[in-house]
Amino acid sequence: MFEPLTEPFMQRAIVEMTLLALAGGALGCWVVLYELSYAAESLAHSLFPGLVIAAIAGIPLLLGATPAVVLAALAIAVASRLPGVGRDVGVAVVVTTMFGLGVLLALSPDSPPGVEALLFGDILGPSDGDIAAAAALVLLVAVALPLLHGRLLATGFDRDAARALGLSPAFADAALLVLLAAATVVAVQGLGNLLVVAVFVGPAATARNLTDRIGPMIAVAAAVAVLAGLAGLYLSYYAGTAGGASVALAIVALYLLSLPLGLRGTDGGRLSPAGGYDH
Amino acid sequence: MQRGLVEVLILAVPAGLLGTWIVLRGLAFFSHSVGTAAFPGLVLADGLGFAAPLGALAAALVFTAGNAALGRGRERERDSVVALVLVGCLAAGVILASDVFGSGANVETLLFGSLLLVDDADIRLAAIAAVATLLVSALAGQRWLAQGFDPEGGPVSRRQTLALDAALLGLIALATTATLSVVGTLLVASLFVVPAATARLFTERMLSWQLASVVLVALEGTAGLWLSVKTDAPPGATIACVAGAVFTLVALLRAVLARAPRGSAAVLAATLGLALLVSGCGNSGADADGRLAVVATTTQIGDWVSEVGGDAVAVDQVLQPNTDPHDYEPRPSDVAAAADAKLVFANGDNLDRWIDQIVSDSGSDAELIDLGADVPERLPGESSGEEASRYDPHWWHDPRNAAAAVREIARRLSAADPSHRRLFQSNAREYLRRLGRLEAGIASCFDQVPVAQRKLVTDHDAFGYFARRFGIDVVGAVIPSQTTQAQPSAKDVSELIDLIEREGVKAVFPESSLSAKVADAIARQTGASADYVLYGDTLGPADSDGATYLQMEAANAEAMVRGFSDGRLGCRLSP
Amino acid sequence: MQTEPLIAASGLALGYGAGPPVVTDVGFELHPGERLALLGPNGGGKTTILRALLGQLPARAGSLHVGVSCGSVPQTERSRLDYPVSALEVAAMGALSRLPWWKRPGREAREQARRALARVGLEEFGETTFGQLSGGQRQRVLIARALVQDALVLLMDEPFTGLDRPAAERLEVLIADLAAEGHGIVMATHDLEQARRWDSVLCVNRRQIAVGPPAQALDLPVLEATYGGAIVELPGGGGRAVLPAQHHHH
Repeated sequence: MFEPLTEPFMQRAIVEMTLLALAGGALGCWVVLYELSYAAESLAHSLFPGLVIAAIAGIPLLLGATPAVVLAALAIAVASRLPGVGRDVGVAVVVTTMFGLGVLLALSPDSPPGVEALLFGDILGPSDGDIAAAAALVLLVAVALPLLHGRLLATGFDRDAARALGLSPAFADAALLVLLAAATVVAVQGLGNLLVVAVFVGPAATARNLTDRIGPMIAVAAAVAVLAGLAGLYLSYYAGTAGGASVALAIVALYLLSLPLGLRGTDGGRLSPAGGYDH
Repeated sequence: MQRGLVEVLILAVPAGLLGTWIVLRGLAFFSHSVGTAAFPGLVLADGLGFAAPLGALAAALVFTAGNAALGRGRERERDSVVALVLVGCLAAGVILASDVFGSGANVETLLFGSLLLVDDADIRLAAIAAVATLLVSALAGQRWLAQGFDPEGGPVSRRQTLALDAALLGLIALATTATLSVVGTLLVASLFVVPAATARLFTERMLSWQLASVVLVALEGTAGLWLSVKTDAPPGATIACVAGAVFTLVALLRAVLARAPRGSAAVLAATLGLALLVSGCGNSGADADGRLAVVATTTQIGDWVSEVGGDAVAVDQVLQPNTDPHDYEPRPSDVAAAADAKLVFANGDNLDRWIDQIVSDSGSDAELIDLGADVPERLPGESSGEEASRYDPHWWHDPRNAAAAVREIARRLSAADPSHRRLFQSNAREYLRRLGRLEAGIASCFDQVPVAQRKLVTDHDAFGYFARRFGIDVVGAVIPSQTTQAQPSAKDVSELIDLIEREGVKAVFPESSLSAKVADAIARQTGASADYVLYGDTLGPADSDGATYLQMEAANAEAMVRGFSDGRLGCRLSP
Repeated sequence: MQTEPLIAASGLALGYGAGPPVVTDVGFELHPGERLALLGPNGGGKTTILRALLGQLPARAGSLHVGVSCGSVPQTERSRLDYPVSALEVAAMGALSRLPWWKRPGREAREQARRALARVGLEEFGETTFGQLSGGQRQRVLIARALVQDALVLLMDEPFTGLDRPAAERLEVLIADLAAEGHGIVMATHDLEQARRWDSVLCVNRRQIAVGPPAQALDLPVLEATYGGAIVELPGGGGRAVLPAQHHHH
């Protein structure tokens, strides 16, 4: 039971996983309520051109990646406001273009090797930088979410009403997407693409089945994420299954377990934000 | 190239038609994910030995069914359900690949495809997808429209709704998986979503929208292919950029038409952006001008051919320094070079199996020479998976194999261009002399290191040949596989750490072209060093200490000797 | 003359999933040519009853007999106004419910849709994009769709919401005409004054409170039970009005 805890590499993996689980679970609730799962899955790909440019220019990779992904987030917010387009399509347009651009930029002879390897992190070997970044992310989420809470809730509940209250839905969307972008930059280096979307979506969707208020939902999601992270790492330690994939499977398993407990009726009227269509 | 064009033009039909439904019904995420979710199907197909497209299609259908089952009554959470089912599929695939079959069909092969490697089977699949799309949309189009207009109380009955949803999702699954090898999942959207979204900006009705989408896919695909030939960039990424640029342009134009004064600057900016995109990256292929035209797949083979051929041979080397040969997307110049080449030298053993298709697609009558087939020293390879082969493909790390390959290269070059026979023979002799000297030097370097200390732990199993030649004991690898794509488990890492401590291993050697996080973690815990980097699958860039084959082997020897001896000993060889 | 009812319900209880019932004790009959108003507060169960009539919700208890085809006329605010369809195409959608799955609506369906649009007074708007029509026009297009569907009963969910007075009057005349032709109309509303002008009223607030002609059904105790709000006497003998406890639209 405590054997994995005595191994330093497991301690570090558990610390990294727990930090990212806390941030991902909490932020994930808004991702799920705002139907941003696609953005959560794909934003990491739009890091690519930024990484390449940073590598060519010889500046720290994070410094290049962050503007690229924030730019992508804002572009998604703009594109999804076009009539007939909608948020999903906005994500597809922006991310595909950014990724294509990244592939073309990477052809430059100055582009260093293995830049794309950064998109495939490994939870079993977080560096000191990864852990520090994850801690900073937890701090950012802990400060930003309470500050934005009212706006996010009002906008998610009813866009038109939020506008009538003098709140800008566009601001709420953009703020959430930028927060998601920042989290993606940090999380993708520790977790890799596969785990990023799992941590952002799975625990929140599980929590939504178990609670019917946003406050408890955030708490439950963070707890579920931490639990799944631990369970996955233990599974990987004892059963010898691939590290990141085990955590992802644990997250999906907890979601499936939560399904029969679903409190909601057939069409989940509660907490439902307006969809991605603005007129 | 012609086949790529034919493929894009056929794909325009399903991509344009389905694209409108994908945009209308908010299925962009689904269409992006269904291809990626085919991963476990590919792993199973490889592991159990049935046709890969069958596995991909089966997995895509399971994904579709999983979405339909979990998504019922969760209209507002459809995206979350897609994400979770996708994560489940991918995680299952990674575990199957890493832990059940112990080798990797890799996710990245799904992420990238290439329009330059289209074969007849791909064109047939695209045609099937086109016909199926035409038929089913003709039958169900009106109902899909009504259903999307009014999902609850509309005139389409509940039972029909289920069947219609299944038909639409199934069709998208079929069309996207059928085109996976050509476009890759990351760029599927550039054909299936972006053109339809663009056309939506200037059409008001379903029929005109669909026509415009099909035309736009065909135009953007053709333009992208043409540009990719002009700029020698991968066609998939070029099409994605063209599609994104056209979308931006149309969106800005709309804004201009709505608000005239502000517009002209925006249009200018968009046009400039487009021009920049287009002029982005240029690179020309080898120009033969009367010299013998030869294609080499890997960096080390390219090095050997240049050494032996000297000025009499024009070498086009497909892989560039520091790219992982396990995942590679060809460029138009590679196809063009293959078309002109007389000889194509390949590594074999599945490391560069894409070369077969490049050669056949270019219509070249070049002779394809598998250098790995005739080398004297062989080690067994992976037993299963995408890179399964009888032999471990990293044979060049044994200098005896390198010598055999160089002799073979000289023989083949001489046969193809007898007028330079004496040059080739003397170049080869000179190279073999340097190689022999290096081999002896490396051997004597390792002789300084006590046998008990020659214990090697690397990123992946690429150094079996080197280790056998120089009496080194391969204790383990972070990725216990000859490919770079499997994922380690915590148990693997823990066992490797125990092993390192028990055996007194002094260093873990990351490879130059891979990210070294787990190696660092192991080093941190065991106190072993992870500072010595090895050149594994590829040479380093021109200004590195591994720019040629001889330098690479010398650098590896130096790194290992230093690592084995805690930095006390060295092995400075000047090849 | 008492005809065979188009719809007959008795002791009906309805709810979603495993949750508690949303509405209970529903019992009424709808005859050809009858206009029935479902009156009640938000959340009282009006939309739930409409769903059950459309066959989307099974009865928890009691019986529901729907002998004829029902056409749904939903609130147009909820339909997507950015949808790429013309008014004519929306009306023609009604034909889908009659066709077997392998058939597409053909020329006769479009012809029928054109006639239905003319019937609702929109013959010149056939080629206009649905989202560009006014609220009242959109309601009439959806009625045309139900007519193409050959629906004998029209189920309308608060069709007057957001309409200005001329549009509302026009719609009311159209509904009266359709009823006169023998259609049954079920309309969810919370407009008490309008309900008074209809043939019968069903008051519902989580359970059925009363049903019958407005003059009999709409008395003070019933209204209090329906709305639980303050009843005020309108000045000038305009009758009573209810101030619902909460009143908002989406």
